[in-house]
Formats: sequence, structure tokens, C-alpha cells
Amino acid sequence: MNKRGTILIAIILVILTATFAYGYFPNQDLEGTIKVSGAWALYPMMVEWAEEFQRIHPKVRIDLSAGGAGKGMTDVLGGLVDMGMISREIYPEEIQRGALGVAVCKDAVVPTVNKGNPVLNDLLTRGIKRRTFMDVWVSGNVTSWGEVVGRPEVKAKIHVYTRSDACGAAETWANYLRCRQEGLLGVGVYGDPGLAEAVKNDPFGIGFNNLNYAYDNSTGKPIEGLMVAPIDLNANGQVDENENFYDTKAKLLEAIATGVYPSPPARDLYVVAKGEFKGLAKEFVKWILTGGQQHVSQTGYIQLSKEKLAEELKKLS
Amino acid sequence: MLTATIFSSLIVFLIAFVLLQKGSLILTTKPLSELLFSSSWYPWRGEFGFYPFIVGTFWVTALAMILAIPVCLLSAIYLAEYASKSVREIMKPLVDLLAGIPSVVYGLWGVLAIVPLIRDYLAPLAGAATTGYSVLAGGMVLAIMVFPIIISVSEEVFRAVPYEVREASLALGATRWQTVKHVVTRKALPGVVAAVILGFSRAFGETMAVLMVVGNVPKAPSSVFDPAYPLPALIANSYGEMMSIPLYDSALLLAALILLLVVFSFSVAARVILMRIERGLR
Repeated sequence: MNKRGTILIAIILVILTATFAYGYFPNQDLEGTIKVSGAWALYPMMVEWAEEFQRIHPKVRIDLSAGGAGKGMTDVLGGLVDMGMISREIYPEEIQRGALGVAVCKDAVVPTVNKGNPVLNDLLTRGIKRRTFMDVWVSGNVTSWGEVVGRPEVKAKIHVYTRSDACGAAETWANYLRCRQEGLLGVGVYGDPGLAEAVKNDPFGIGFNNLNYAYDNSTGKPIEGLMVAPIDLNANGQVDENENFYDTKAKLLEAIATGVYPSPPARDLYVVAKGEFKGLAKEFVKWILTGGQQHVSQTGYIQLSKEKLAEELKKLS
Repeated sequence: MLTATIFSSLIVFLIAFVLLQKGSLILTTKPLSELLFSSSWYPWRGEFGFYPFIVGTFWVTALAMILAIPVCLLSAIYLAEYASKSVREIMKPLVDLLAGIPSVVYGLWGVLAIVPLIRDYLAPLAGAATTGYSVLAGGMVLAIMVFPIIISVSEEVFRAVPYEVREASLALGATRWQTVKHVVTRKALPGVVAAVILGFSRAFGETMAVLMVVGNVPKAPSSVFDPAYPLPALIANSYGEMMSIPLYDSALLLAALILLLVVFSFSVAARVILMRIERGLR
């Protein structure tokens, strides 16, 4: 063959090989940056997923920051990030502005008290009814620890804490108490770790946390100084055998997975995009719903059911 | 050069204009009197009463200044008039170091040190019960944050007073303290007032440190041990829900505008005071 023909055939062969290789090994070529921000609740899980995804696709970089569910929503609707982490239900107003949510896993908000609480033993054996929580956080009718456990001689005042930043944890807890975050009374502390710190340092404090901030990851028990207040689900004035699952994170996770722990305050955790997930973000979320699910339990969250995962995957196409 | 000057002077008006534009939506929907004087803050219900936030801002800033001014003035006088050169050379950088510490670090330190101090020692001393997250906590943290500015500028001002003035006073038989109290301070007063204004400006705007210790309860405080909710904290905390609740973004921009107006009117008042003092001294 003449020289020109040879070069032409060589070029065609190279192009064919490259296309073939690209199609055959799609993973090798994923590259770019994904920006994620939002809920404290989903942050530890997203850190795991990001690490794993970056390990599989070394050319991908994931920029992750917390700041609360509200910030995540504002950031994603404002185009500042590719996806937001949201730890509450998505409002109709947000859907109107283009928010598309995909559920990725599940966790819960738990009520917390200080380990040195004067009536701790009563709290652990009797639990606290939902009605009492509402009286503490919403109506303000219950103000002393004695009223919570039915011992009027204890006059110690309850120091109520809530979240100051717009977040999913407070909104979820408020939904359980049939109101919105703005309806919660109490001193507003910034951030989930901040709330845990506040209750940890105040013997008369009561607050709520995402379960991954209330429990120590290494020991599986509530963090030092904090105790999780059992919810008296059937309101019979005591913590029954089937209501007693707060000692370790594993037991609590099982209770949430089986639905014994109510939803709210347990809830699905979402990632949200504006309009639709595209490009690198879409690949990431696809992976989260398939390969990423194996990391969910060991990080302290609950996997979604297979049917739910299939449903969510459909939202991506 | 003229363009640069005009540009920097006009930025304030530019910011105010943008804020007014975006904030005007809520101004047209709700009466101004309700926005400024109502105490009910329930955005989901459409209730936007800024009164607790305006009052909260004033309480925290005023307390910070009350705590800061005496300490700063006395420190500045000591550094300028009494300290030996070696002491001054150690103290000044240490004070200036405070200016470099990020706001969040102050906030964290406030949560770990100031809040328990108030909850366990100061409040029982005064006979009040509090969680520690209060106007006092915000004021104390803010006061420490404005120390470097006021001390630095005041000290410079005192040192700028010509030495002849002091010599004249001492020659007439005044003691060192009398000289400082009656003569030097009078000459330095405009500069000191300017330093205090600078401090106030920083105090008004500090967000992160204050919101971590002040309690964030949307109710006008009635004592220094009550929690409060200053305007910058409102904006920082609620930024997250801006896109989610109708009118909320407009309300927060109005909050920013109110804050701008407060700082602006404060600056104007301070300028007037400054002019009066300078006229009086002439």
C-alpha cells in the first residue's frame, strides 16, 4: 500500500481501539469533581462513600462539607454544589424550585439526656412518652424533671436544647412532635456535635441528636456523658422488653430497620440535585444505590430495602 | 486614584441598594410596623417579627462594649504612659495576636470555657439559673474579640499626644496620674472615640463566635443571663432554609438591610459626637 493509505488505516485503527477500550473499561475514565454539601446526619456515611468511590475511580475528586440540611438544599438549588445531603422530607416549595431527591439510606434522631441527670434511673425504666416530649419542646407545659417522671418532689428545671441552624434533625424531631423546627422551644445550638456537647455538659439538659453523633462509633455505646432517653412507645409508663434497645447502636439500628422505632424520628436520608442528576454525580449516586450499599451497615446506618433501591434507581434515568 | 476612592465609597450604597431590591418583596407584603415591632418569628406561618433580633443585637453589642471599654482604655493608658519599652514590646504583639484568631476558634473556646463559667459560677452568684448560653456569654466573647482593635488604636492615639503637653502639666505640679487623667486623655479623646467606634463596628458584625454561645432563642432578652438572637446569627443560621420557605429569602435580606442601617446610623452618630468633641477642644 502507499504511504498515505497506511497512515489512514493506522489512524482508523487507533480510533477504533480507543473507542473500544473506552467502552470496555468505562470506569477507568471517570474524572472530575463532585461537590457535595448538607446534612450533618448523612455526612459520616458520605465520607465513607466518597472515600470508596475515589478509591475505585482515582481521577475523581469529591468535595464534601457539612452545614445542615438547609444549607445543602440552598447550595444545590443555588447551583453551588452538584448534590445536597438532606436529612428530612423535601418540601413542596423545594420541589417547585426543581429539587429532585433520591433516598440513599436511613437513620434516626434520638432524644438525649445527660448521664448525671438527677432522675436518670426513672428515665431509663419509665421512658418518656411522645406527649411529654411535646410538652417539653412545643407547648412548654412541662418544665421540671419531676413532671417528666411523675415525681413532683423533684423540682429541678429542664434545660431544653434545640438546633439553631436550619437542619434535618430538628425538622425530623419536630415532625415527630407534630410541628416544624421553628416551633421547637429551647436554646439553639449550632450543629449536631454542638448540641451533643451542650447536653453532655449540662446535667439538666435534654436534646436530640442524629444517632451517629449520639453513639460512639468505636464502642457502639452512647458517647461519654450522654445517655439516650428511651421513648415509651406504647405510653404505658414503663420501658417494656421490646422498647429497650438503646444500650448499643447495633440494637437501635435493628429496631429502626424492623420499624419498631417510629418514623419519624427515624427517616430516609436523601441526596438532592437541581432538576436531575447528570454526569459524574449521576454515576456516583448510581454506585451509592448499588455497590455502595454494602458499606451502609458498618458505618452505622440502615440499608434501604431492595424494592426501595430499585425505585430510587429509576429516578436517575 | 479618584476612581478607586469613589468606587470604595460607593460600595456601601451598592450593597444597600441590592439588599433593598431583594428585600422589598417582604416590605410590600407585610406592614413595616409588624416587621420591626412584632415578636413572633414563625416563617412557615408567614410571621416575620424582627423585634427580638434587633433588641438582641443591641443587648449583646452594648454589653460587649461595656465590658471592653474600661479594660481597653486602662490597658492602652498603661501601655502608652507607664509601661517600660520591653514590657510594651512583649504586650503589644500578644494583644495583636488576639486579632488574628479566627471567629470560630473564639466560638469554640466560648462554648468550652465561658458557657460553663457562666452556668456554674457567675449565674448562681447573681442568683439566676441559666444554661450558660446567654447575652453575657456573647458579650464576653465579643468583648475579647474587640480588645486588640481598641487597645491598638487607643495606644497609638495616646502616644501621639505631643510630649510638651505632658511636660507642661508636670511642670505645674500635677502627678503623673493627674496628667494622664486630665490632660492627655482630653487631647486623645477624639482618637479614643474613633477606636471605640471601630470596636463597635467589629462587634456588630461578628457572627460565628456569637452564634455559638448566645443561645439563639427568638425572644427579646430581659436579663444578661437570658439567651438572645442577634441579627448576624439569624442570617447565618437561617441561610439554609432560604430557598425553602416562601418570603424567607426576602426576610433574611431585609434582616441584612436592617443590620446595615443600624451600623450606618451608629457610624453617623459617632461622627457627630467626634465633631462635637473636636469643636469643643478647639
